[in-house]
Amino acid sequence: MAVRRADHTRASTMQWIPYLFLLPAFILLFTFRIAPALAGFREALYTHNLSAARRSFVGWGNFAHIFRDPIFWKSLRITLVFSLVTNPLQTALALALAVLANQRVRGISIFRSVYLLPVVISINVTSTIWGLLLNKDSGMINGILIQFGLPRQPFLLSPDQALWTIIGIISWVGVPYWMMFFLAGLQGIPQALFEAAAIDGANAWQSFRYITLPLLRRIIAFVLISDTVVNLFLFAPVWILTRGGPQLSTNLLMYDAYRRGFVWGDMGGSAAMMMILLVIAAITVAVEFLLFRSREG
Amino acid sequence: MNEKRLTRRDFLKVSTGATVAAVLAACAPPTPAPAAKPAEKAPAAAPQKVTTINHLSIWSDDVFAETIALFEEMNPDLKVKNEALSWNAFFEQIQVRLAAGSAEPDTLAVDVPLTAPYGYRGWLLPLDDVFTEEEKADWLESSLKAGTYEGHLISAPVSTSTQLLFYNRNAFEKAGIEPPGEDERWTWEQLADAAQKLTFDEDGDGTPEMWGFIWEQVIRIYQLQPMPMSLGGVPIGPDGLTVRGYIDTDPWIEAFTYYRKAFNEWKFAPQGDVGWPSDTLFRPGKLAMEVAGPWNIKQNIDANLDFEWGVSRHPYFDGGTIVTPTGSWHIGANANTKKIDAATRWVRFVSTVPGAEKWWRTGSHDFPAQKSLLEKIKTDPQFEEWPWKAERIAADEATVNPQPRPVTPGYLEYEEILGDTFSDIRNGADVKESLNTAVERIEAEMDKYRK
Amino acid sequence: MAESLAVDVAERYTRRGKTRISRATVQRVIVYFLLTLISVLVIVPLMWAFAASFTPNDEVFRYVFPFSWRALFPVDFTVEAYRNLFFEEGFTRPIANTLILGFSTVILSGVTSALAGFAFARFDFRGKDVLFGLVLLTFMIPGEVTMIPLYIVVSRLALVNTWTALIVPGLANSLVIFLFRQFFIEIPQDLIDAARVDGASWLKVFASIVLPMSKPVLITASLLLFLGQWNSFFWPLLVAPDPKLRVVQVAVSYAYEEHKTLWNQLLAGSVVAALVPILLVLPFQRYYVSGLVGSGLKE
Repeated sequence: MAVRRADHTRASTMQWIPYLFLLPAFILLFTFRIAPALAGFREALYTHNLSAARRSFVGWGNFAHIFRDPIFWKSLRITLVFSLVTNPLQTALALALAVLANQRVRGISIFRSVYLLPVVISINVTSTIWGLLLNKDSGMINGILIQFGLPRQPFLLSPDQALWTIIGIISWVGVPYWMMFFLAGLQGIPQALFEAAAIDGANAWQSFRYITLPLLRRIIAFVLISDTVVNLFLFAPVWILTRGGPQLSTNLLMYDAYRRGFVWGDMGGSAAMMMILLVIAAITVAVEFLLFRSREG
Repeated sequence: MNEKRLTRRDFLKVSTGATVAAVLAACAPPTPAPAAKPAEKAPAAAPQKVTTINHLSIWSDDVFAETIALFEEMNPDLKVKNEALSWNAFFEQIQVRLAAGSAEPDTLAVDVPLTAPYGYRGWLLPLDDVFTEEEKADWLESSLKAGTYEGHLISAPVSTSTQLLFYNRNAFEKAGIEPPGEDERWTWEQLADAAQKLTFDEDGDGTPEMWGFIWEQVIRIYQLQPMPMSLGGVPIGPDGLTVRGYIDTDPWIEAFTYYRKAFNEWKFAPQGDVGWPSDTLFRPGKLAMEVAGPWNIKQNIDANLDFEWGVSRHPYFDGGTIVTPTGSWHIGANANTKKIDAATRWVRFVSTVPGAEKWWRTGSHDFPAQKSLLEKIKTDPQFEEWPWKAERIAADEATVNPQPRPVTPGYLEYEEILGDTFSDIRNGADVKESLNTAVERIEAEMDKYRK
Repeated sequence: MAESLAVDVAERYTRRGKTRISRATVQRVIVYFLLTLISVLVIVPLMWAFAASFTPNDEVFRYVFPFSWRALFPVDFTVEAYRNLFFEEGFTRPIANTLILGFSTVILSGVTSALAGFAFARFDFRGKDVLFGLVLLTFMIPGEVTMIPLYIVVSRLALVNTWTALIVPGLANSLVIFLFRQFFIEIPQDLIDAARVDGASWLKVFASIVLPMSKPVLITASLLLFLGQWNSFFWPLLVAPDPKLRVVQVAVSYAYEEHKTLWNQLLAGSVVAALVPILLVLPFQRYYVSGLVGSGLKE
């Protein structure tokens, strides 16, 4: 409102000044975020690799080709299973960890700093270290298993274990990451609410169920939705650790799209697959959104 | 509402191509990167002007040093800037850059089976007029043919290859086995038998200190194709697209059952990631035998190994045909290069004498694809005494029924999917099932090349 | 769950008078136990990586299989891996490159984003809601989706393997614009009005009044921008494959591909790549967390 007042003092210059402030940032945003996203849609309708013509319109051809591919359907199933397991798992564990990290005990800030470590280290470094830890012949995890008299596990080399192993590795990053959001939310809840509940005889579980959860509803929704998007577009661990194998068991769609475009040179097919992923992400987000909406009402 | 929509549309308009170009151009560093567009416009009339050729390869600058030095000495108006990438990044970068129609690199190393895919996509400059008939006649016929796509020479032969059985003589002595002679050829059955005896796990921790055998390029079709072919198998149909009924037949199943057993049952070959086994296992003395390329000869000599080593011929299956791998690096020019003259001069230099000889002797040490150079291996006294004599053995082995890899526009997909498949089989997956999956996957990808 | 259960149990077994103390003690023991357990899960992998990077390559797995506590300490201490990394593999170059990339992003993107954030926070103008909506929207577009079209543009302009291609696309950061806007909106109007009445231009108000009092958000934005570039991988991999322009994350992944069996060196590279963000974030933890979390909690 106060701005309006200023507005009157120099009405003529005021009109373009804010746009001037916005201009550099918006040129960047349009050029490198929005325009390429729109171009991606267009790219999906073209092909680069059919003989002679360098680039030609194929309409839905790229999509038809993908849908005919039996491997696509297998990868889609893997991607969905991966998402359906990872998102609730990470959200629930992150919330639990946040409750733990919100305890008012001595030295808690040291623990919180420790939990920050996986968050700031890049996913490449994390994948590299875990790749060595999970090595079948000489990895530490198998060393520990053997110590306890358990059989050594192939982990990333087994088609039955590889996907779960990747889920584990990314949760090592994801759980503390989303924990920070919950922790901030928890710290925003007035302590008086809990004290009042305690006086009314509520136990720890009850105050969590009836105070914490409802107040964190918006953050839970945010975390769930963001986590969905992040995981659908997960790439680095697969690229570094399994390259989609063994036996295609970790062939997530994002990696498949990468391989199509950057290994096989089928840019149109790759863009098409990316669009399919984007649609899946949009649908999932919409469903999650509605779910939280309806419960609220 | 109406207002808002207008604003948005206006912005979208602004955001298209023009801004993209403007922003990127505006931010270009003051000394523009290699793209020397204007310089090349004027035809070779101005000799004082130096043109820089951007060459993309997998070899570091020091490998290239002498070859480039000789070229620049002979062509004072040209300079070569080599961009060396790691193996995986190399193939990916070619895909991405050439598919996007980039003018760089000007020239590139071409793995010979990629001639067809690159030719199909129109990525390489036809080189028919670059070479004299005499120069063309100096190449091995098989190499010239492999560099030709639809009647045009598009990748000029630089090297070719073969494979030998390298062995660690000390390991054989320890196991009390007589190693195969340099003109002897073991069967795969003989090899499996010996390899098990050559695998030592003396501390009993389940991980041998000495492994019996491994294939140098352990999951690549280049290395493995001779096995099914030795049993009468064929890698692809005559149309260069169909694999159903070829890679799922008995010779393939039998060959890869052997392969599977090597890692899982006989356990003379290591599973898991071993990197480049010549570097990580053979030269450190942890591997008794490997089927590997002749480029290892010089590397073994230079490494001053603390054990005696020897070579023998490429194995075959008992009762089957003798088949050896072939093909190696060619060189090509980007169809979109803005420096056609310079690029083709460099291509010609590397693929013919004397450039090719320099490259063979001081560069990659890959086997030359020029008959005159192969002749030198037979006559040059340098190759009479062991260990350099191994080169002469390799030169002879290169003439024993070499079989090229499939010629198909979908070679990248073919190779990568088979690589996945071999990797799975190596880790214990069912052979038949894996090959069937490979058929499904390759057929689905080849679909886009059918007209 | 486990916690409340244990508390119930504790309650049942103690007499009423003593309950308060015992409950608190039991609860605290459980809390410390869980806190420590998770810390172990976080720290042990990192400790091994750290210790192994100071170990001769042949010994890297020696105490790991079967596992002994020695695995977590460099018992056969050597700096061989680091020496090779820096003097033979030339790891200094990727570090220098990434520092240049990071600092230029902090400055350039910091300025453009702060200006935009200021406009959104302090001005009323036509299309403000739409434009701000666009900022939030781009925040939701995963970078991966735009990678291919962006690459095509860059390569057509012959910018592959240039600093321009490496730096400029990373300057567009809607999260940082958002953070600035959230911060600037809290600045008291009186301060700005006073300066305006004195005849200061908006740019001057921004530079001499707003920025000096924005230290927290400047720290947060710089951290996010710098770490974003320090950890960036996919884009540099695509657009700057030339080893002379190689950045840290790409160098680490190449090391993984090329020297699969030079573990100590691989881990030394990883330790260096991890140490920089850790050392930067720990002292500024509060700012870092508030920046990340800010996107999810406000509006």
